[in-house]
Amino acid sequence: MPKLSAFRANSVIYFTGDVSDKVYVLQTGKVSLNYTEIDNGQEIRDPIQMGEFFGVKSALGKYPREENALALQDSTVLGFTVPEFEQFAMANTRIIMKMLKVFSNQLRRVHNQVENLLSKQEQVSPEIGLYKTGEYYLKNRMYEQARYVFGRYLTYYPAGKLAEQAAGHIETAENYLSKYGQGKGPAPIESSGSDSPRPQQGATPSELSEVAQTYYNGVSLFSQEKYSEAASEFRKIIDGNEDAEYVAKSDYEFGRCLFLTEKYDDCIKHFTALVQSYPKHPELMDILLYLGQCYEKKGDVQRAAALYKKISGMSTDEESSARLKAKKALRELEGEK
Amino acid sequence: MAFDLAAFTRFARTFQKGEMIFSEFEPGDTFYLIQSGRVQIVRVVGDIEKTIDVLQPTEFFGEMAILEGAPRSASAIALDTVKALEFNRANFEVLMMGNPQIALKLLKLFVKRIYDQKRRFMILKLDDPQAKVADVFLMLDETQPQNIQEGEMKREFRTTVGDIAHWAGISVDECRQLLEHFVAQRRLELFPDRILVKNINDFQRFVNSKRKR
Repeated sequence: MPKLSAFRANSVIYFTGDVSDKVYVLQTGKVSLNYTEIDNGQEIRDPIQMGEFFGVKSALGKYPREENALALQDSTVLGFTVPEFEQFAMANTRIIMKMLKVFSNQLRRVHNQVENLLSKQEQVSPEIGLYKTGEYYLKNRMYEQARYVFGRYLTYYPAGKLAEQAAGHIETAENYLSKYGQGKGPAPIESSGSDSPRPQQGATPSELSEVAQTYYNGVSLFSQEKYSEAASEFRKIIDGNEDAEYVAKSDYEFGRCLFLTEKYDDCIKHFTALVQSYPKHPELMDILLYLGQCYEKKGDVQRAAALYKKISGMSTDEESSARLKAKKALRELEGEK
Repeated sequence: MAFDLAAFTRFARTFQKGEMIFSEFEPGDTFYLIQSGRVQIVRVVGDIEKTIDVLQPTEFFGEMAILEGAPRSASAIALDTVKALEFNRANFEVLMMGNPQIALKLLKLFVKRIYDQKRRFMILKLDDPQAKVADVFLMLDETQPQNIQEGEMKREFRTTVGDIAHWAGISVDECRQLLEHFVAQRRLELFPDRILVKNINDFQRFVNSKRKR
């Protein structure tokens, strides 16, 4: 059972450095938590509100107390042992939620303080770090990991200074994976050791094909919101019709460009033809979503709703963003009726 | 701890053995609770991939994603077929409200993370680089309790120069020089896979003298 204790004005409930498993709630009176800020040596006095918990972190983490808890006037506090506190909190999830919010803010704050100190020293930028991580996996023939990491690089830095190399490395990883298998084959890239990775020389499979170059060029333009220019790159690949995989990818991207330049009729035409000729397109759900959105933009609510319903009913292993968007769009449409 | 998660299968994700769940340096906005299978946490340091931890069912990972926009500090790779609950901003409250046990577990994890970060901050706040290095050993001693007889001052740490440099926020080269300085003073012995501190109290006194009060 939690125990009620009374403290006289100016008495100490606990000292910095004490180790204890007690969590407190202030019932009556006034309590202040006093400590020195590590950052600037400032003395902080943090008043506790009635009904507020204190001493939680040190008790739960079994760490020494990080502050003096001082009764400013005659006060009563309810003391829980950690198991008592846990039992109480489990029955009052809102309290845990509130503490999670407070603690995540504290974590954010101290994390920023650490980062600020570190940034004065030399640090790798996330972009270079991500690229180098991919390079490590490729070098060590862990093709699946390399493909993942370079894929993430292109997602986050489609116009990054290493985007072209990353795209080339994805191709290499895919080629080596299908040719030799994970962990096998000759090392696709040598240990670089230098900070400026360069594209591979010679006739290795890592050489980026012309089609791939055009495609990633289009992706890069798209990410810069230059949709018309991106569309003409994708168009080249579709018309060239050399590499089925890149043609399918470009067909999808081309349609997206049409949508984003508000050419809804062209977009409907393009995507309808694509779905008919390629009913198992990997981006099928997104394609249908764009079609629905085109119809909605044109005011054809019935067709839009039918498409959204179709997407909502499609079965996938996990919740895809296209389906979530379709459900939301459907709800909004139905709300308008 | 067994969780009743039947109602939350829509937030479940499955990763195949060997699949990368996320990579070091990519921005993160999701974190995970393992339901089955193991997850390997790794970091690429120079030319080696270092395993930092292998996590088991009921453990969280990627929880630092609550720091918006911060890059992942390590990669997570599925060691077996892994089933995990995926948390994000949108489902967080629902999942937590329905699972006080999980919420409590996360609360304790945050407590530990705050403490770890504060401790790291204290190391970095020291002006003297030699004291930073000494304080890293004190931190390791606090967080990795060993079976040590009362009064024993010698400590052995399964760690490398690179790790110490990481914690102290200095370059590996500088760290090596500072460690060699301790070696020359006979306060420390350096081995390829471990570092021996001859008298941990001596390091404590040294750090205390350098820490501003």
